[in-house]
Amino acid sequence: MTAYLQAVGLDHSFGGLHALRECGFDIEQGRITCLVGPNGAGKTTIFDAITGFLRPDEGHVTFRGRSLDGLRPQAIVHAGIARTFQNLRLFTELSALDNVLVALPQQFAEEPLGAIFRPLHAARSQSQRRADALRTLEHVGLADRARETVRNLSYGEQKLLTVARVLATGAELLLLDEPASGLSAGALDAVMALLRRLQTEGKTLLVVEHNTRVVQQIADEVLFLHQGHLMARGSPQQIIADPALAEIYFGGAI
Amino acid sequence: MILLQLLINGLVTGCALGVVAISFALVYATTKIFHVAHAGVYTLAGYIAWMLASHGVPDVLALAAAVVVCAAVGALIQSQLYARLERRRATHLVVLIASLGLLAVMQNILAAVFSPNILQFPVLWGSRIIALGGIRLTYSQLLTVVVCLAAYVGVMWFAYATPLGKRIRAVASNPFLAQITRLQPNAVYVYVVAIASAIVALPGVLVPLDLGLQPYGGITPLLTATIAMIAGGVGSISGAFMLSIVIAVLQNLSLLVIPGEWSIGITFFIFVIFMLFRPTGLFAAAR
Amino acid sequence: MDFLFSYLALAAIYVVLGLSTNLLVGIVGIFSVSQAAVFGVGAYIVAHFLMAADPLSFLPALAIAILCCVTLNILVTLPSLRVSGDYFVVTSFGIQLLATAVFTNWTSGTGGASGVPGIPPADLFGYPLESTFQLMLLCLAGLLLACLCFWLIMRAPFGRLLRAIREDELAVAAAGKNVLRAKVSAAALAGGFAGVAGGLYATFLSFIDPSSFDLDASILLLTMVVVGGARTLAGSIVGPFLLLAMPQLLTLLEIPTTIAATARQLIYGLLLIAFMLFRPQGLLGERL
Repeated sequence: MTAYLQAVGLDHSFGGLHALRECGFDIEQGRITCLVGPNGAGKTTIFDAITGFLRPDEGHVTFRGRSLDGLRPQAIVHAGIARTFQNLRLFTELSALDNVLVALPQQFAEEPLGAIFRPLHAARSQSQRRADALRTLEHVGLADRARETVRNLSYGEQKLLTVARVLATGAELLLLDEPASGLSAGALDAVMALLRRLQTEGKTLLVVEHNTRVVQQIADEVLFLHQGHLMARGSPQQIIADPALAEIYFGGAI
Repeated sequence: MILLQLLINGLVTGCALGVVAISFALVYATTKIFHVAHAGVYTLAGYIAWMLASHGVPDVLALAAAVVVCAAVGALIQSQLYARLERRRATHLVVLIASLGLLAVMQNILAAVFSPNILQFPVLWGSRIIALGGIRLTYSQLLTVVVCLAAYVGVMWFAYATPLGKRIRAVASNPFLAQITRLQPNAVYVYVVAIASAIVALPGVLVPLDLGLQPYGGITPLLTATIAMIAGGVGSISGAFMLSIVIAVLQNLSLLVIPGEWSIGITFFIFVIFMLFRPTGLFAAAR
Repeated sequence: MDFLFSYLALAAIYVVLGLSTNLLVGIVGIFSVSQAAVFGVGAYIVAHFLMAADPLSFLPALAIAILCCVTLNILVTLPSLRVSGDYFVVTSFGIQLLATAVFTNWTSGTGGASGVPGIPPADLFGYPLESTFQLMLLCLAGLLLACLCFWLIMRAPFGRLLRAIREDELAVAAAGKNVLRAKVSAAALAGGFAGVAGGLYATFLSFIDPSSFDLDASILLLTMVVVGGARTLAGSIVGPFLLLAMPQLLTLLEIPTTIAATARQLIYGLLLIAFMLFRPQGLLGERL
């Protein structure tokens, strides 16, 4: 049986920096997998490689048996994988609702001809989509902040919004880049509860995370990445308890 | 024979264009600004030399004066306009528009002060002709090649062998790192634009010796030069210079088949080809 | 009275052009100095069909002009949008200079430097619009339609998509949207507006020549958007109305006609610098 998401032999260098070294792993459907490792291990590079933001020098990625090689980011989203960014990359001048609306697929009048020649239909279709977007915001707990511009949202709310945005795409595999970093305790709990809820709804999550508490609480499996290579995999308890890995993570030089 | 003549003419124009290209590339690679107003500095140089020469100043001094004035103008442009815009966190588009506005200002001041029409240089020695074999070359053409080649060599030496040159290259390759390692990129930017303006003054004075001065004549050479820079690979001084010669030669050769006013079409055609097939250029500097 | 009608008609035409430029420069964020070239293409095409041996009526001629200008904009933006923004600067200059070369030298097609005189006034459904007043109304109608289109686009998902693209293209791609297609659509639309403006210009003035469609004209268009303000309908309207009053202002100041054109261009340049330094959002727009 083919793996849900499989990466084989990913290798990539940025000039002199060898970011990924023959990296391979696979993800099971329906699980929350955490990708951990020291800074510079290549975690975000893997995200970029999977989602088409980067063309790895070597290696292949397949999703549900279908090759993702060479596909552009928007095609990957259509295939069912969506990602967030470590630095959020929200549309700061738009409202929370608009940020979600941008990500809703297959909208009418997302091109000029429909907007000009069928304005009434466009308006009707938009109010339906607004309702969809609002539901997504409710799902992450941001419904009451829908009309606020991103600037006026707290950091925690902005992080929730990035999750709402990927949810809106309808993707089944979500790649979340440090969804819990920089959050207060309360916001952290909200995010973890959200991630678990998403799992029960059938989403598969691949999460880059530094916070060991978060990893322990939500991960079904942990992948430990070091110097661009998968060093270890196992349950959170196994990985966290391993002294050699702890040394690499906290103490060792890169 | 006419082929050879066209080739030689192309070589001459190409050298002049090459200097425009490397001076523009110097600014672009370092400050990342598409300094459209560079065309204005180029034009200014010619008028300054003309003005001085018309008042009896010896030609060499007139040239030197033009170089110095342009360097000063360049320094002013960077420190008063671009640096200010940077402080206000202007977007790339805003800087471009401001540069274009500056070009319009410079060109039209020159047109108002001197004349919107073509002015001829009062230089008699320039049009004396040397005949080698069947080819005819004017003294000013010869001078252009010599000076521009010297400028090219000078820039290469400066960039690779002098401390300031190395500092400039360091800032160009990693402005962020330069900021935090105290290379003082802002000061470097002023030097760069000043130096580039000084260099571009050379063809700015030499080219009009043959073709005459006109206030709006800067944009076409600049456009051709930027195409050479892009085709040669941004960051490659030699690439920019060589491609300038290639383009100028091709433009001249094309005169065999199409009328001269369409030469802009050739340049543009070359650009489109590069954009479609090798947008990073032939010799793009490695990261 | 005729003078006022002329001013209003020309202002209307330039507002449509302003919307076109605003779409490209203000909304998508592409630096364009080739708007006047596309404007010219529209004008020459309409002139050609109105004066052909078997002349077309105004609206069909305009339709052809729109189609050509849309295609032109698509063709020129497509290769450039795949690489960095600065390459489009070069392309834009190139197109403008090339277009001026074509307008000036292709004498058989465009009348060369002497231009095309005697363009007949527009006729709508067989009824020719003879007076300045009627032609002005036609231009105003064009203005209203263009404003309506612009407004509809900006409040539709397309407008929102463009705004998001301006902020962060990569994030838009990560959200599953085709950024290139959106940008090209915007450029195509801008082309369409410019074509309409060109057609109206040709029939209103009844004489066109390359000097109305050169780099200086593109700079004027840019100045209109910068002064009026980017990305808003109000800005697109105010800019042209103000800047078209400028020549009148210069006459009042008794600037001799010999340097009037130079003086105008100088002022445009100064306005561009001043607004970029001190008020990048223009009078009624959003920050560029």
